[in-house]
Amino acid sequence: MAHLHDLLAYEVVEGIKGQQFTAEQYVGSMIKRIEDVDSKLRSFITVDSEGALSSAKIIDRKIKEKVDIGTLAGVTIGIKDNISTKGIRTTCASKILEDYVPSYDATVIRKLKENGAIILGKLNLDEFGMGSTTEYSSFYSTHNPWNLDYVPGGSSGGSGAAVAAGECTVSLGSDTGGSIRCPASFCSVVGLKPTYGRVSRYGLISYANSLEQIGPICRSVKDAVMIMNIISGKDIMDNTSIQSTPIAIKSKLGKLNIAIIKELINGSDHDVTRTVYSASEKFKDIGYSCEEVSIKNLDYALPSYYTLASAEASSNLARYDNIRYGFDFPIEEYKWDTYFSNVRKNFGQEVKRRILIGSYVLSSGYYSKYYLKARMLRSLLKLELLKLFNKYDLLIGPTMPILPFKIGEKIDDPFKMYLVDVNTVLANLAGIPAISIPVGFSNGLPIGLQIMAAPCQEQKLVDASLALEDTIDIQRRPKSI
Amino acid sequence: MISIEELKYLAEISKIDLTDDEINRFPPQLNKTIEYIDILEELASDESITMDLHEINFDELRDDVVKKSDGQPIIKNLTEEGFLRGPKMK
Repeated sequence: MAHLHDLLAYEVVEGIKGQQFTAEQYVGSMIKRIEDVDSKLRSFITVDSEGALSSAKIIDRKIKEKVDIGTLAGVTIGIKDNISTKGIRTTCASKILEDYVPSYDATVIRKLKENGAIILGKLNLDEFGMGSTTEYSSFYSTHNPWNLDYVPGGSSGGSGAAVAAGECTVSLGSDTGGSIRCPASFCSVVGLKPTYGRVSRYGLISYANSLEQIGPICRSVKDAVMIMNIISGKDIMDNTSIQSTPIAIKSKLGKLNIAIIKELINGSDHDVTRTVYSASEKFKDIGYSCEEVSIKNLDYALPSYYTLASAEASSNLARYDNIRYGFDFPIEEYKWDTYFSNVRKNFGQEVKRRILIGSYVLSSGYYSKYYLKARMLRSLLKLELLKLFNKYDLLIGPTMPILPFKIGEKIDDPFKMYLVDVNTVLANLAGIPAISIPVGFSNGLPIGLQIMAAPCQEQKLVDASLALEDTIDIQRRPKSI
Repeated sequence: MISIEELKYLAEISKIDLTDDEINRFPPQLNKTIEYIDILEELASDESITMDLHEINFDELRDDVVKKSDGQPIIKNLTEEGFLRGPKMK
């Protein structure tokens, strides 16, 4: 039998329900795996071994008592550290929240626990989700399990690396402009950003509310479906959440019409382009139709995204005053007018830059020049994409225009770092679902294919991804770790 | 374009003290981004476009429901007497 840490989520559930191994043995093997490899990867900020083992024991006891243990029984989940977990420190990888312990669970956490999933710990990210490499974490950078000198992507880099390296069965990330799909692509795993509203954001610490969604990062499409079907749905605590129908593993949709977005292909590295074309050929082989299309408003998408995300960030992060929640910083030594700006010095550089840009685009004189135009573009883009979805079921292209790069390579040029999000922000601006699935490698570095669908059409994403997953024969586990 | 003076103003309204190093380093970095988003100016304003993505009407909001917190206190600077400690006014 393979190592326990190699098992996919549905294999774990089968193994535990079939009593091939106990939940305690499985969780024990995952904790051992973290002990063995995390000093190299640095995916985790907090590991809750004690809590995970005690949850495992409860599952084992329920099995003995023949009580229902839930559809995710024993599946270990790593949680991006911007999702609130009751009693487990939730830092957003920020010094500002270094000591913050939430008193409640995010809705997604409550639902996962109710279905038998075990929270293994909290995963590293770019501070507050702002970044594409996990280098902007205030604690440390996470390393790519396929090559430790390279970035794992971001901002959910810990979530991508931990799943790829088998440190947890599956993980949750959040995606504001690509933060699930980028690390999924760079770490050769599956990452799904749901339709806006499909998954409750209650308990997700806000960065840009109108853009972000929580979603799964997994080693197989089937695992992603299992997680999605648990975490989706209307939630009274999030008024933007919507009702959804479960995603099927075997649907009856049949052959789909696919369009490749020309501009995304043309703007990518040669090896990325070649691999994505070869994936599109595979779609043709299985009977899907596949042609090329253009998106007129594409050039405005990234400027619009950074305008809106920064504006929302500057407003959301105004709440960090270190009075209501925060870190160890003496209150006695400062007066009212200097305390807050001194406390807020402790934001990292990238967070400061985005707050400042946000304040700039919202300030008088610039509001209509930038913010209103960005919102207008967002509507135009959504209309344009919806029109394309009248003709095509799916739009595809590379998830990332480039291969993973070395840690430190782009850190000195924040603007260059922004440009890598060009393919992923479309789905956030339009509120549509998008998935990244592994399709190949170049020099040992992973390449992901992005598939986008119309709002609430996750089923189509899953159908196409499952079909492709079956036909693509690539290495699934990194050997170096 | 953001000058050092403007940066200081933005920092003040954002309530963030910047270090001397940041005051020197941030303007060129931020200006690259501003230059990039300037492309939005090319878009002609069109009032026929509705911009109500994701917005929820006030009358659709749920009622506030008071519940007792069963975990540790959410507020960091809460004293035993239930007061909230803040920095001195003067």
